[in-house]
Amino acid sequence: MIDLKERSKEKKNFSNRLTLVYLFFGILFSFFIYKTFSLQVSDYTEYEIASLQNKTREILIQPRRGIIYDRNGEIIVNNNPKYNLILNPSKIKDIEEHLSEIAEIINLSEKDILFVKENFKNKAKLNREIVLKQNLSQEEIAKFEARRYRFPSTFIGERYSRENTYSELFSHSIGYVGGMSDQNIDQILKDQDLNLGETIFKYSNGFIVGKTGIEKVYDKRLRGYFGKKIYEVDASGKLLNELEEIPAKDGEDLYTSLDLKSQKVAYKQLNNRRGAVVAVEIDTGAIVTYVSSPSFPINAIANGLSSDEFNQLTNDKNKPFFDRAGQGRYSPASTIKPAIGLYGIENKIIDWKYTIDDPGFFVLPEDNRVYRGWKEGGHGKIDLMNAIIESSNTFFFSLAYKSEIDDLVDHLSYFGFGRNVCIDCFIPDNGLLPNPEWKINKLNFGWFKGDTVNMGVGQGYLSATPIQLAYYSAFLAKKGNLDRFSFIQNTNSAKKDIFISNNIKDEDWENIHKSMIGVIENPKGTARRLRNLKNYTVAAKSGTVELVSTETKEDYQTIREVEDQRDHAIIIAFAPIPNPKYAISVVIENGESGGSVAGPVAIEVLNSLIKNE
Amino acid sequence: MGLLFLYSASQENVETIVKQSLFVVFGLILMFILSQIEPDFYKNNALLFLIISIALILLTMAFGKEVNGAKRWLDLGFFTLQSSEIVKITLPVFLAAYLYNKPLPISLLNTFISMIVIIIIVNLVRIQPDLGTSLVIFIAGLYILFLAGLSWRFIGASFTILILSIPFIWNNFLEPFQRQRILTLLDPTADPYGSGWNITQSKIAIGSGGIQGKGYGSGSQAHLNFLPETETDFIFAVIAEEFGFIGACILMFTFFFIILRCFYLAVNARDRFCRLTIGGLSLLFISTIFINLAMVVGIIPVVGMPLPFISKGGSSLLSFYIAFGIIISMATHKKLMQK
Repeated sequence: MIDLKERSKEKKNFSNRLTLVYLFFGILFSFFIYKTFSLQVSDYTEYEIASLQNKTREILIQPRRGIIYDRNGEIIVNNNPKYNLILNPSKIKDIEEHLSEIAEIINLSEKDILFVKENFKNKAKLNREIVLKQNLSQEEIAKFEARRYRFPSTFIGERYSRENTYSELFSHSIGYVGGMSDQNIDQILKDQDLNLGETIFKYSNGFIVGKTGIEKVYDKRLRGYFGKKIYEVDASGKLLNELEEIPAKDGEDLYTSLDLKSQKVAYKQLNNRRGAVVAVEIDTGAIVTYVSSPSFPINAIANGLSSDEFNQLTNDKNKPFFDRAGQGRYSPASTIKPAIGLYGIENKIIDWKYTIDDPGFFVLPEDNRVYRGWKEGGHGKIDLMNAIIESSNTFFFSLAYKSEIDDLVDHLSYFGFGRNVCIDCFIPDNGLLPNPEWKINKLNFGWFKGDTVNMGVGQGYLSATPIQLAYYSAFLAKKGNLDRFSFIQNTNSAKKDIFISNNIKDEDWENIHKSMIGVIENPKGTARRLRNLKNYTVAAKSGTVELVSTETKEDYQTIREVEDQRDHAIIIAFAPIPNPKYAISVVIENGESGGSVAGPVAIEVLNSLIKNE
Repeated sequence: MGLLFLYSASQENVETIVKQSLFVVFGLILMFILSQIEPDFYKNNALLFLIISIALILLTMAFGKEVNGAKRWLDLGFFTLQSSEIVKITLPVFLAAYLYNKPLPISLLNTFISMIVIIIIVNLVRIQPDLGTSLVIFIAGLYILFLAGLSWRFIGASFTILILSIPFIWNNFLEPFQRQRILTLLDPTADPYGSGWNITQSKIAIGSGGIQGKGYGSGSQAHLNFLPETETDFIFAVIAEEFGFIGACILMFTFFFIILRCFYLAVNARDRFCRLTIGGLSLLFISTIFINLAMVVGIIPVVGMPLPFISKGGSSLLSFYIAFGIIISMATHKKLMQK
């Protein structure tokens, strides 16, 4: 046995050592209190947020896209409901049995069944819905609804499909919607202070965005704002219950200035020929007709097209996707003559009494090159008004010869050439208003006097789009004071273009109108055949675009054999006189005669616009 | 109190509670019986108890039930016994009984005999594998040696060897998942959805409890399954989430007072055997608590250590009732010996 002394020594030793260990744990204890304090009190907010983020999940709700109307309230683009059969897997015990019961009333494809079977378990675990069959027929809906008490965990859900009411009428003006790239969605959601995540879709093809035309230009307005549902979730991501819903804000409906009736007439008149029609309301600059032909089936593009069909469209030599109305470049040809005439008046080169003797051709003094008119033997002694009515080339060759190219370019720019005349067109093309600087840079050739002479009859490098030609037409009608064009009625942002001129008086404008009326009404007018197609007065100027210049009649007959080499037919017009309300331009590629081919199209469209009122 | 916490932690699982209640009742009865027994009974039969518990471990290894790749449980029909929980108590008692009459300082020979016993048992538990418990057993053994008067020179030498052998242990004794846990501790944000998940979620649970807590049964971290092992290892996180800083402090101070009381009992125990036993068992109790807490707040790696008297698990609960039964026995039989 240990003696007493030894025992007390041992006891003391024990106490010291135990105290030492306890002290160590005492320090640890304080540290734990401190650590718990720092977690729960100092850093509380941070962890509170982390906990909240853990247990909530936001699911985005797609907004409904705005409906697009024509100017009379006719629906052009709508969101058409499609009906899908949707399961709620977490409420279904035996999926095989469930599917076979449903298969008794609704035809299910192997693919649909396989998809459900593959995804069933996971969706049930997460408490998410699963689509069993898309696009139910009316019959299927009726069959299911009659027996729905048997399937409490299955329901019919609505998904939209964005559809244009008229498959081909508005393909280039309204455009179409399509899927979005992730980056694109991300940006849109960021702008709305949201993050990309799970989404409840209102459209069967998911996220959609305007790709072309008005759908693209007014995408933000039509798009609306995403809403969200906030759910409580567990660690596996299973939805437990809905905590809050912020509804989506649907996109704004869009009332365009397009006119369904005139659009139909223009489309029918063009009859799949390559060409375009643009008509506007002169007072407001509102575009009422905008057709490019041939067109393409817009809904098929928006909702998925087989690659064969798509290739067929892209390889079509008539290029149906090409927007001829906004991007097709055509020489204005003789339609330029009123503007050139006004240039002569403005610069006092000529007046209304000035005449020349037209032998049928113009010889350029510099190199004796011959510029021909369309009429053999010429128009004889002719003044400006008759030069426009009969479309004398010689008159305008000689007038252009006397002009300064830089002044002429400035002058034509007012009339819409070489610039954007539309505030909401999708990728507008500015055509080409050439000047010496452009020619030396682009073609590495100096400007010849002959280039200016050619511009006098709207040939050569000068080119314009049908919408620019419509603008030019409206500008003449409105006597040089015009709103830029727009697809929307009463836009506040419309920009006015005012032609400030010192020497052009109202009577000069009136005379221009008179000469353009004469194009149809005068027995010598180039478009006199149109006279009986309408019962109001129309001012017009036709043009025939030479694609290949020919020296002789025989040559001309040869090129007529080849369709691609035939002249383009052009006309610009405005009506009714004396208070013109609509201006129009029509181009028909290889149509040969502006007056007799493009002319009737213009008149029929004007008829539909004017007779409707 | 423990049952109340467990009810919420087990997501209102009544079966768990009933089972645990039975253990508590059984444990209390066991504790009462053990407290009535003369301390000398423990002293004289310490070796026998140790042999029985080692036998249990060997039985477990032979016939044990395998759960998650670990063979720790012995199916006794009415309940599954985690044999390592028993040796956790019998080893310190044996060591105390072995060393109580050895002169100071403890001779090198006795130290080695004790160390060999400790190492054998620790390794038996470690290969189950049960790293957490083996660690606690190892520490418990060392406590007794230390309290019994292990020479400082030996302590110094062992410590140096330990430090030097860390790389060796790292490479040879730790399972890959154990290494991963240690690395995770150093930077839990490196893989927050993988190995760092437990610590990250545990911290969120504690932190989001705030001062007052989210309320009983309303801890979203625990109830929506973000927090793992809510009934066992991470039960403190559940308590801290639902009862806040106040609740966590009440729990910690309750433990603190039990521990302080043990210190008083140990220092004033009637003889050296009792001193060593009370000291050793109480330090075992403290260590278990602190390892659990340190794990939950993310100071040490996740090792699988229950919180005494609170976590679900019959074996652990019973082992601590046994420990306190012995402590109470030694505290109440004091006067008897002094006459």
